[in-house]
Amino acid sequence: MSTPGIKPRPAATPIDILPTDAARLYTHIHPALLLSLYALRFNAIVADPVPALLQTLIPLSALQIAYVTVCLPPTAGSGSSTPAVPKAAKKRASAAKTATGSNTVKIVPALLSLILSLFAITPLTGITLILFGAPITTHFAHTFLAAAHIAILAFLPLVYVLGVDGERWREVVGLLLPVDEVVGGMVGTLVGAWAGAVPIPLDWDREWQKWPVTIVTGAYLGYALGKLAGGLVFKGRKIMFD
Amino acid sequence: MEDPLPSYEGLAAAFAKAKAEKEKEEAAGLRDRTDDAKAANNQGEVRFKAAHGLLLAFFSWILLLHVLGIYLFTSGFLLTRLVLDYKSSCAVPPVDLTRSYQVGSPELGCWHPKTFEKAVVIIVDALRYDFTVPFRPQGIDDKPHHYHNAIPVFYETAVQHPTNAFLLPFIADPPTTTLQRLKGLTTGTLPTFIDAGSNFAGTAIEEDNLIAQLRSAGKRIVHLGDDTWHALFPGYFEPDLTRAYDSFNVWDLHTVDNGVTEHIFPLLHPSNTSKWDVVFGHYLGVDHAGHRYGPDHPAMTSKLEQMDAVFRRMIETLDDSTLLVVMGDHGMDAKGDHGGESDDEIQAALWMYSKKGIFGRSAPAKIEPPATAKERPVAQIDLVSTLSLLLGMPIPFNNLGAPIEEAFIGKKGQDYENLALVNRLATSQIHRYQHEYAQARGLDENARSSSLSLWAAAEDSWVSLVRAKSPSAKQWNNAYSAFSAYQRETLSVCRALWARFDVARMVHGVEILALTLIVLAIYARGIDGDRTELTPALFLRAMIGTALGLLVGLATGFGVPSLPLEHTVIYATAVGSAAGFASGFWYVRRRLVSPIPRSIWGWVGVTLTVALSVGFASNSFTIWEDEILLHFLTTFGVLMAISSFRQADIIDRALGCYHSILFIVLTRIASLSRLCREEQMPYCKSTYYASANSSTSAIWQLAIPFFVAFTLPNLLRSYFKSTQSYQGSAILWIDFAFRTGLLISAAFWTMDAADDGDWFPGYGALLKTSKIILAQIVFAIALAAGYSTFAWAAPLLNIETKSNLTAEKSEERSRQVVAEGGSSSITILGYANVHGSRYALLITMWLLAVILVQKPMGGGAIGLLGWQIFSLFEIIDTNHLSETPVGPLVLGFLGSFHFFKTGHQATLSSIQWESAFIPLKTIKYPWSPLLIILNTFGAQIICAVAVPAVVLWKQPPKKKGLLGDVAKAIATHLLFYAVINLATTMWAGWLRRHLMLYRIFNPRFMAGAIVLLVVEVVGILIALLGVRLNFLSVAEIFGWS
Repeated sequence: MSTPGIKPRPAATPIDILPTDAARLYTHIHPALLLSLYALRFNAIVADPVPALLQTLIPLSALQIAYVTVCLPPTAGSGSSTPAVPKAAKKRASAAKTATGSNTVKIVPALLSLILSLFAITPLTGITLILFGAPITTHFAHTFLAAAHIAILAFLPLVYVLGVDGERWREVVGLLLPVDEVVGGMVGTLVGAWAGAVPIPLDWDREWQKWPVTIVTGAYLGYALGKLAGGLVFKGRKIMFD
Repeated sequence: MEDPLPSYEGLAAAFAKAKAEKEKEEAAGLRDRTDDAKAANNQGEVRFKAAHGLLLAFFSWILLLHVLGIYLFTSGFLLTRLVLDYKSSCAVPPVDLTRSYQVGSPELGCWHPKTFEKAVVIIVDALRYDFTVPFRPQGIDDKPHHYHNAIPVFYETAVQHPTNAFLLPFIADPPTTTLQRLKGLTTGTLPTFIDAGSNFAGTAIEEDNLIAQLRSAGKRIVHLGDDTWHALFPGYFEPDLTRAYDSFNVWDLHTVDNGVTEHIFPLLHPSNTSKWDVVFGHYLGVDHAGHRYGPDHPAMTSKLEQMDAVFRRMIETLDDSTLLVVMGDHGMDAKGDHGGESDDEIQAALWMYSKKGIFGRSAPAKIEPPATAKERPVAQIDLVSTLSLLLGMPIPFNNLGAPIEEAFIGKKGQDYENLALVNRLATSQIHRYQHEYAQARGLDENARSSSLSLWAAAEDSWVSLVRAKSPSAKQWNNAYSAFSAYQRETLSVCRALWARFDVARMVHGVEILALTLIVLAIYARGIDGDRTELTPALFLRAMIGTALGLLVGLATGFGVPSLPLEHTVIYATAVGSAAGFASGFWYVRRRLVSPIPRSIWGWVGVTLTVALSVGFASNSFTIWEDEILLHFLTTFGVLMAISSFRQADIIDRALGCYHSILFIVLTRIASLSRLCREEQMPYCKSTYYASANSSTSAIWQLAIPFFVAFTLPNLLRSYFKSTQSYQGSAILWIDFAFRTGLLISAAFWTMDAADDGDWFPGYGALLKTSKIILAQIVFAIALAAGYSTFAWAAPLLNIETKSNLTAEKSEERSRQVVAEGGSSSITILGYANVHGSRYALLITMWLLAVILVQKPMGGGAIGLLGWQIFSLFEIIDTNHLSETPVGPLVLGFLGSFHFFKTGHQATLSSIQWESAFIPLKTIKYPWSPLLIILNTFGAQIICAVAVPAVVLWKQPPKKKGLLGDVAKAIATHLLFYAVINLATTMWAGWLRRHLMLYRIFNPRFMAGAIVLLVVEVVGILIALLGVRLNFLSVAEIFGWS
């Protein structure tokens, strides 16, 4: 891919939320809203997962789109005029102006992120669920709806801030990006969904043990925790393997 | 062949140096070997052999400690009872009958005149004794609970009509689970873990029992209710009258009960009583109400009231010649559960009723049923002899219980003659049984001395009684007491032998396993640098510690006679050994590092291993172990893929990603091969055989071994070719011998199916003989030809001489290019993977042997396993993980996973006994058990063989401390199984009275212990010895460092 002569790309930096009051406020309200939405829908999802999960996708998408447009800087590469990382205090005012002033403009990359998450990432997530042991011959709707929820939770914000830059996405998969609330949310969602499989085999005979309720529950809880931890506690750190 | 050797020497040396120094080094190496160099080389070989020998000794020592720990635990835990096949017969009473009665027929009564024609025997599951007697406040604040006073029918009838009914506490022998209780209630004997009889795996009762006696006497038996009876007595019941109901749905309080009631009353109707002789009914509602709500709940009150009404109605409809027996098979604890040995769980109730009015009490005070279960209890096993004699049946051979006094003493309560007669019969049968048991088991007479003297006393009293012309009631009473004294003594001896856990042995066994685990953990993960340097000191000190421990054990064992000798010696030896290791570790303390993980790999490995082990404390996680392993293996695969994405080198990255994703996908494909255990139903669909109810393969499955034979050699070849190691013996072995072996093995399974399905009638014998010959040929290829190849093969190298111009272009890792000066250069092909490629031949040999003994589907799974193992090597190499515990741990998970994918479960019933007959016509020791081990644990065996390759793969031939790395990897692999073994052992011991012990925890413990020992033996005898052959062969060419 790379040919000699091209300068090495600058290392990725953690993403700061937009320097507006709305962003600073909404970034904390957002996980609470998401969890409330899920708590509200929980009984319906347990009762009949497929239609309930499908319907819940709409408010989930709306909340995520609201979150990214209000709080996050859109990708530099997607044609938007907003710089990915507002640097100096001098620039901050203008950046804030752009951020607040062009909310309608930012809807477009947000919608594109949603479409990418739904149609590119959801199938991959669904296949991953099957590889982890989800039913391979039945329950397709269940599995892929769970995958859609995971994709919108974990990856919609990432698509919004990173765009479709291949090298950045290699860093996403390799967990090489510095931790921030977007990366934290992604890792949290995936770990939460992973841990959500734990109660499934137990012989408690509870309705909520049915596929894929626990996975989706784990994903929502994991997203909220991961976003919080990534944004506040571990911000700027690197994930080390060795 | 003499000449090239020195040049190889030089080349290898050159590789280790910087490029600038290469020429110089080479020149030095190319000189004829001096005597000094030769001597140094010989010294190197001696050093290697010594270090290797010590590693063998060290791992054998760990094996020994595990054997001691497992033995000590098992001897305290797995109490066994020999099941004798003898059956009592109507015509052969255990003792000469008296003048008053001749040997009869079932119509009159076999050994004793019968009392009843027919019987209705009802079990109210979990009917605790205090449910049936009136509530008596113990203090002012004591209020009746919901379970009190709700079923008064038994008490009322016993008090109002003492000759028609009696009510007594009915004590169960733990474990208080329905299956074990039904065994006790029908055979009259005590439960043990393993009733070692002819049928090891099935649940059907093989030994003599009341139901079998009734059936062989031609009685028509009807069963209504809990379907556990049908597992125990298949085909015993009248099919058109019998109604069985699922017993496991504890949330359903009424289906079973309503079903029993609906069908039992028509049977009791006078127009239908001629259709049956004995009815067994089994109500489950009380038990289920207990499980669901606990006893102190209004649901329990209404359930008991419902039962009360049922039995009042039954009394009304009963005819005169029919005996009605109602009992609980066990009680329930305060939460409504059972299985254990607490008072509330073992105290059930027994009520007998008949319209004949023949029951009596030896004293008027005994008319009122006991207020608590502590007074005048009878044992549940007493029911067997009582019912047998009342119905005129012979007493089952293995019975240990005595006839119940109230049923035989007569309505005036003075018929001691009858009581003495029935007790003499029951006791003589017990004596006959004990005699046969002692002979079959080779027990010495000492253990029985006290009971034998009681027997002599009882005989004496009988002789004096017979001499007297008209014996007095007192004499009869004396004889009765003498016989029951013998019965009680025998019962307590048997109980001590069979039904008590030796907790001290179990705890000490667990301690030994835990200490060994600590030693292994420090050795595997807590030592810095080369383990071979430290093993001598460790081993020496362990030996000294063991010797001291043995001495202390012997001295204590002989010095303190109250201590059991064997137990003391084993424990002291093992603890001494561990202390020796501890002192060894102290001696090398400068080299110790914290065994706590330092990388994400270590943490993930520890977390997943511990999570799996902790999960074995839960029956659900144990049942679904196969799915959990899939989840964990995929987790490892995803982490390896992520790690691959992090690699800076683009080739490493691409290869790592490819192999990681391949690994994950292959795991998921393998997971499609399933053999479900009963408890996984209905959420699991078996695919291992043609259908869920067969143990033969479907036609399409026969194609799998052929597919494996055509693809697997090519796939594995590519892993050799990537380092140009596909040279020399590998070509002949993989392309020809391995493939031929796989093809013959596939042919074997087709012929096996032809034989099973009788496709060619008349040629069955021919098929049988020829398929056995084929199987033997495959074994000869895999092991005889395979080991000769492996032992004598040179490393998989080749030399290429090229002109300098072309050599410049092929600067690859796999080649070692050395400038010869002038216009040509020598290239060594396969240099990059000298150790790994050659050692991998050993893996393929065992792959072939294991694939042969697996069913077609299992052959496919093992083929996938082989592919996954080689992918894992590549992942480890491209991600530079050979220092981490990932390789050995993933191999542990992989082996455990494919255990399930080859049609096995942690249950006795999934053992494929027929695999013993693949290459043999008859059972031959030791081959038959070895074949079953190879079939059952084939996946774990292959993974254990593959462990050294994890650290040998693509390592330079003279890398320092390579043997130490092998030791580290093997120790880490063993650590995985040792953790699982320790956990399953502890859980089995802790949950020894759990409802699911027999079905789930005990089989998992046994599987864990056997796997650990098998993997250790394989690690020592196959892997470590294979490493030795490998190192010797590589050093032939490259010399010793």
